[in-house]
Amino acid sequence: MVKEIERAGIPVVHICTVVPISLTVGANRIVPAIAIPHPLGNPSLDAKEEKALRRKIVEKALKALSTEVSGQTVFED
Amino acid sequence: MDLENQKRVKDFTEQFGGENVVVVLGAAEAEAAGLAAETVTNGDPTFAGPLAGVQLGLRVFHAVEPSFKEAVDAGVFDDQIGMMEMVLDVDSIVSEMNNIRSEFSKY
Amino acid sequence: MSKRVVHYINQFFAGIGGEEKADIKPEVREGVVGPGMALNTALGQEAEIVATIICGDSYFNENLEEAKATVLDMVKKYNPDLFIAGPAFNAGRYGVACGTIATAVKEELNIPVLTGMYIENPGADMFKKHVYIIETGNSAAAMRTAVPAMSKLALKLLKGEAIGEPKEDNYISRGIRKNFFANERGSKRAVDMLLKKIKGEAFETEYPMPDFDRVEPNPAVVDLSKAKVALVTSGGIVPKHNPDKIESSSASKYGKYDISNFMELTSEDHETAHGGYDPVYANIDPDRVLPVDVLRDLEKEGKIGELHKYFYTTVGNGTSVGNSKGFAAEFAKELKADGVQAVILTST
Repeated sequence: MVKEIERAGIPVVHICTVVPISLTVGANRIVPAIAIPHPLGNPSLDAKEEKALRRKIVEKALKALSTEVSGQTVFED
Repeated sequence: MDLENQKRVKDFTEQFGGENVVVVLGAAEAEAAGLAAETVTNGDPTFAGPLAGVQLGLRVFHAVEPSFKEAVDAGVFDDQIGMMEMVLDVDSIVSEMNNIRSEFSKY
Repeated sequence: MSKRVVHYINQFFAGIGGEEKADIKPEVREGVVGPGMALNTALGQEAEIVATIICGDSYFNENLEEAKATVLDMVKKYNPDLFIAGPAFNAGRYGVACGTIATAVKEELNIPVLTGMYIENPGADMFKKHVYIIETGNSAAAMRTAVPAMSKLALKLLKGEAIGEPKEDNYISRGIRKNFFANERGSKRAVDMLLKKIKGEAFETEYPMPDFDRVEPNPAVVDLSKAKVALVTSGGIVPKHNPDKIESSSASKYGKYDISNFMELTSEDHETAHGGYDPVYANIDPDRVLPVDVLRDLEKEGKIGELHKYFYTTVGNGTSVGNSKGFAAEFAKELKADGVQAVILTST
């Protein structure tokens, strides 16, 4: 799906847990997520901390969207 | 057949004896019926559940088979199963069930 | 004396549990478990599965380095002549785990390996160049054909026999080139093929064109504070009760839902339809998969221009590549028409 959105001319960032899969299928902007059942969450944290964590990942994703990339790029920390 | 039902079938067979257990299936097509039938006779062919490698050889029928239809009240059958009987591929189901039974049923 | 084989399977085939147990750490059992029974029978007198290693699919994929190291240690202890992983069919995390561990065993322990999975399993593309992957059907119902194919290759590997071409031995092409002398000259073969094509007869290419299918990245967003950002997910987030009945696996459709009235998603209004991961966390707070709450905050603070009123969703579990491509090609057009300038796509 990521490639089709990219093909339509819209920059897209893939937030996903299993980064090697995203790399293989060909996403260009990739942000690693927390875990499979909760990519943008962590149930062991309290609500405030969890939301802060989620925000951090989303902000990384927004940064990826506003960064020029020449090929597949994984935006770690 | 899902894991919970496999366990139930296994437990009932241990409790009542294989010769006293009959399984009646309601699968929507022949392939699914065949997999479930094989599971309670020759063992879970997907090897994912408690009946993996366990050959119970139970008597198993599908609800649209003539042997089941003839054994129950015609009015009740019509009410509960009449509709489905019209839309299912009964011939394929019967054929699949016969195959499984002739190969694997012990009773 | 029969050869020794170690088998790797996941929590489901070990009969331990489903998604709720996908986080279990690696453990070893003597002898066979689950599908190992069938493999063992098929291997006959020549070989025996002496141990089975079980690991949760989520645990393996979320802790690649640790899980690999632990499992390698377990394999080493048994000093096997062969290592078999799976078959994983179309289970994505399982396929990735099988491919990863088989490759590690081959490269670090120098033991012959093989695994099995469906051609669309992400593990297949990732590892076909590294290890033999028997091509299987797309669900466990295909166990009856996967087992004989896997044990046949296993015995060949154990006996040190030459492995034939992919079609012969049922494995996914590894992209390896082997020179051989053909009976007829290339020029004749090419002309013969062309004549068949012209006559409209069937012919077989000698070299299927590789499908690179890479898409150039689009230019970065210049000013996020003015940008319209849209959310898309393969994690199956849908309005409560899944009104359009998107399937929990092998989705045949996608959904487009209005979130203009939502500042966040909660268990009252949304849920996940995805059957391939433990849904508990996503159902309690769907923002954990589709981060509406954070994007609304960022919108209020002016960090992004606007969160698009629609989000698009489907279930990534076993959904075919063809379908996902089709869905996205369609809704990407709508996104473009709606003036969306950037997309965040979340996956589980």
